[in-house]
This record gives sequence, structure tokens and C-alpha cells, in this order.
Amino acid sequence: MNKLMKKTLISAVLIAVTFALYQNFTLMPEYRGLNEGISDYIITYGLNDTGSLNLITAVLYDYRAFDSLGESTVIFGAVSGIVLILSRKMLPVSSKGLSFIVKRTLGIITPFIALFGFYVISHGHLSPGGGFQGGVILAAISIIFSIVYGSAFDYRRYSPQTKTVLETVGALIFLGIGLAGIVMEGAFLSNLGFLTAEKGTLISAGSIPYINIGVGFKVGAGLAIIFYSMIQKTFEEDF
Amino acid sequence: MAILEIILLVFLIFSAVMAVRFDEELISIIFLSIFSLILTALYLLHKAADVALAEAVIGAGLNTAIFMSAISQIRHGDSD
Repeated sequence: MNKLMKKTLISAVLIAVTFALYQNFTLMPEYRGLNEGISDYIITYGLNDTGSLNLITAVLYDYRAFDSLGESTVIFGAVSGIVLILSRKMLPVSSKGLSFIVKRTLGIITPFIALFGFYVISHGHLSPGGGFQGGVILAAISIIFSIVYGSAFDYRRYSPQTKTVLETVGALIFLGIGLAGIVMEGAFLSNLGFLTAEKGTLISAGSIPYINIGVGFKVGAGLAIIFYSMIQKTFEEDF
Repeated sequence: MAILEIILLVFLIFSAVMAVRFDEELISIIFLSIFSLILTALYLLHKAADVALAEAVIGAGLNTAIFMSAISQIRHGDSD
């Protein structure tokens, strides 16, 4: 009897969900081809509206900036959950790292990797890339440090507290620009008009470069924190 | 261009099947990394440079490192 009731309940819920989804999809507008609709509008007017040469960045941080804010919130939630579950207040796995030659070579190469990361972040509105990709490149530096120099090195240089501060600063930059949009332009995360300059120059496209910088700091620090929480020691006797 | 695309697609499917079929986790992770690399080349062929950059950085770089650290933790637990 109980089993039968459970089955009836499950099928009733499934049928209700199916009906609701069907109703939802009937409300969607019909497909009208690629020559009409929002994509054509963005390709035609995107450069004039936002001043960003890279239309993907224009969509991500201007037209759909609220979605990007949601993405950042998802990453923040993931970092918080992983740190809550995995952090043990111990030093991470201490290893001696690789050989002398690899260490010296990485010491020469690392500034160029960091430069490339900052380039991808700051030129997000001009060339392919943006805050997210550049942030992951910056997080990769931290991972390479832990592999080559041994994991205690990066822990001592840039402690998790520093990374937490960086992540918070990135999120506050994003939110601050959104609130400045309310005050100056009348809508949340609206593009700030007084920051626009000649198209194609480095400091142009309104608030898009600054949002890029905020997202880059946030993603880089967040992913580095995730990696460091995952390689921490589990057993005390292995110190 | 078309021939290059077909070759890349064949290798993409091959690496995906290999990543599933191997029992050894390390080889699976390496094949997953190769999968991401081939996918990056395919994105570049279709002129989607933004997605290609994200795929190369996250799929081939970050995922591999995080999976490796997870695997090392699991092995450590087994050996005890």
C-alpha cells in the first residue's frame, strides 16, 4: 500500500513537471532564422552600443553582465564549499620539488606567464580572452609553483588568507561597478558612459575592462584556493 | 581544411573512447587532456577563439592538475 502510494505520488509529480515544461516551451518565440532576432542586432549595433571590439566580451560583460555575476557567485559557492569540507588547518603536502635545472628554468619563464595572463585580462575587450581565461592562467602559475618548487613554497609566499583577500577584492570591484551603474546610468551593471573613449584603444569600452580585472582576480584566486585545499595533507603523521 | 577536420574528429572520438575504456586512472586523465587539446584545435578551425582559449586553459591545464592531485590522494588512502 505504501509502495503503491509512493509510486502514484512520483508519477503524479512527473506528469505535473512534464505539463509545466510543455507549457513553458509553448511560450517561447518561434525560430525566425539567423538574419533576424537578437544575434543580428548584437552583430550590427554591438560595437556602437558598448565600444568593445570583441563582441563576445560585449555580450558577457555588458548585455548579459547579470549572468556573469551569477557565474561568479557559483564559483564563490564552490570555493566556499570545498574549503569548508577539505580545509584542515595544516600545512599542505611538503615535497622537495623537481631538479635544480627545472627550478631555474621556471624562475625565468614565470614572469612571462604572468605577463600573458595580465595581457589576456586587460585586452579582453580587444582580442580573444577575458577575465575568466586570464584568471585561470594566473591560477596555473600557482599550481606550477606547487609542482616544481614543492607545495610549501607557494603556501609561504602567497598564503590562503592573501588569496581570500584577492578574491573578495575582485567580487567587490564587480559589485561596485554594478552599483555605480545604478547611481550614474539608472540600471544595475549598466555600462558607464563617462569611461568610454576612442574605439580600439586599451582604456575604452566603458566599464568592461574594469569588470574584466575584477573577474580575473576573483577566478584566479578562487581556483588557486580550490587547488590548495585539495592537496592538503590528510594524515598528521605524514608531516 | 575538411580533411584536417575529419582527422581531428576521428582522433577526438578515439581519445574519448580510450579515456573511458582504460582501467588505469592516470592514462585516462592523460587521454582526457589530449581530448581537450584536440577540441581546442577544432574550436580554432571554426574560428571560435574565445572558447578555444577557455578550453585550452581549463580543460588541458587546470582539470589535469586537479585530477592528478585527486588521484594521488586516493592512492595514498589505498596504500595505508
